[in-house]
Amino acid sequence: MSDKRKAIELMIKAERCRENVIRMIRAGGHGHVGGAFSAIDLVAALYFHAMNIDGADAKNPDRDRFLLSAGHKCLAQYGVLAEKDFFEKEILDTYGKLGSLIPGHPDMHKLNGVEANTGALGHGISIAAGMAMAGKLDQKAYRVFVVTGDGELPEGSNWEGAAVAAKFGLDNLVVFVDNNGLQISGAVTEVMSMEPIDCKFRDFGWAVTEIDGNDMEQILNVLEQLPLEKGKPTAVICKTVKAKGLSFGENQTDFHFWNASEELLRQAEAEMEERIAGLQKQLEEMKQ
Amino acid sequence: MIGELFDPRKEFGKAVTEAAASNPDVVVFSADSGKSSGFGEFMKKYPERYFECGIMEQGVVGAAAGMATTGKIPVFCAIAPFVTCRPYEMIRNDIGYMRQNVKLVGRNCGITYSDLGSTHQSLDDFGLMRLIPGITILAPSDPGEIQEAVKAMLAYKGPVYMRIGNPKIPQIFEQEPFVIGKGKLLREGMDVTIVTTGSTTGSALKAVLELEALGVSTELIGMPTVVPLDRELVRRSAAKTGRVITVEEHYVCGGLGSLVTEELSDLANVMVKRMGLPLDYAKTSGDYEELLAYYQLDHNGIVNGVKEFLQ
Repeated sequence: MSDKRKAIELMIKAERCRENVIRMIRAGGHGHVGGAFSAIDLVAALYFHAMNIDGADAKNPDRDRFLLSAGHKCLAQYGVLAEKDFFEKEILDTYGKLGSLIPGHPDMHKLNGVEANTGALGHGISIAAGMAMAGKLDQKAYRVFVVTGDGELPEGSNWEGAAVAAKFGLDNLVVFVDNNGLQISGAVTEVMSMEPIDCKFRDFGWAVTEIDGNDMEQILNVLEQLPLEKGKPTAVICKTVKAKGLSFGENQTDFHFWNASEELLRQAEAEMEERIAGLQKQLEEMKQ
Repeated sequence: MIGELFDPRKEFGKAVTEAAASNPDVVVFSADSGKSSGFGEFMKKYPERYFECGIMEQGVVGAAAGMATTGKIPVFCAIAPFVTCRPYEMIRNDIGYMRQNVKLVGRNCGITYSDLGSTHQSLDDFGLMRLIPGITILAPSDPGEIQEAVKAMLAYKGPVYMRIGNPKIPQIFEQEPFVIGKGKLLREGMDVTIVTTGSTTGSALKAVLELEALGVSTELIGMPTVVPLDRELVRRSAAKTGRVITVEEHYVCGGLGSLVTEELSDLANVMVKRMGLPLDYAKTSGDYEELLAYYQLDHNGIVNGVKEFLQ
């Protein structure tokens, strides 16, 4: 299959995952949509293309692991896990409800596929490093993938984890920085700039590259190259758009956390269906 | 042998190293704290299972939790406040909330760093750890109990915080298997109950013998497991004597004294007195034994505390 065709198929998957997120937000009335939608193309590509994991055998010790260091992006992971049949889609309708298995931050004891109880920021890299260290110790082939937000990078604990990953040569660890550039209080570079992010990881001993994190072909391309360097952990700086896929919300801080109206939810769904139709048409044309 | 002196850190490290021989899942994390935690032998024998991370307690606790998700049993020992206070959120979320089988060990606990001041003393570790649901807290009192507690801690599946001291301590009791959650009725008495844990157990035992010579029939309970508290043992003794005094090398609030007071709060006709350190920073520094006496936590202080309580 051509890379282009694969990319389009994954873009359709990502749109389906976005629809799942809209379904959850409708159930709960609100949610951290901004970071979920900036990261969801990558998360979909990981689960549908790169990762060795199966919802029916989610605790397999040889599985690849996926962690959200920025736990508030969990709508992205829930949306993908539902599309990947980790759980019944009816559970999406329990978001925000008493006893839901998909709370506002992920809980590994509630839902298969969740590997860590994140939500407090700056924890993911260290936890993932520990998993990757165990993989090395046990000579297992699994990989550990982490998504961090750019807004959480000022947490010093990230850099403790970064140092550990470099010291122990964790080339089975990949961190994707969802660099959408916005956090609650405004532009990340104004609130507390950690630029240049790539240099910081590089100086800690990581192999680093940068992609457009909402461009499926670029995502696929980088996934094929992992690890970027043998003996080093990889950091992929993903330039993304906050709330990507919501025409009315893209690049707006207000959509970090969205108190949704039914009218805009419908508009979002219509936009997604329109994009899916366009992508399917492209696929048909490629067949001919 | 009873009365013989041992370095608690060496006894601890030795016990972990021995357990590691038969359990390949036991791994050790160090924050520039390995040799001084008694892991010299472990480093030589199992270098692939020894992870030196440098001075970064948050990173260590996170990585230990991550590693534990794969079935490993990480042990992390360092100076007590650096194990507990510095990475508190990582303990709460990555170990506690994630229910990971990580063993945290705070050494040089209490005021054993008697001349280094408040930054290095841990008088709040019981209090901090007990507010993390699901964490077991151990405070063994003598070298043999440390060894047995290590065995029990590694055999138990779940997060544990253990506290050990620094200066050499005598063997007080015959070595016997450690049962997590079980207190020890060390002396039976009728007039007053002393409940103590860890480093103050030896002084409390000495105090009990003096009190008995003075005609005060004193019951002594050793609590090498602070959480979960042996509630039944405490309640039974309190119902018998009606007077309970807690003794610990910890703030008078938040630790064993608070746990016992809370447990007995629904009992009529029971009075509780708590002995420990005031909730304050170090007022003075100096020799450990002198400092214990200054805070009334040596055997004389305990005798006086009991006498005042019974007046």
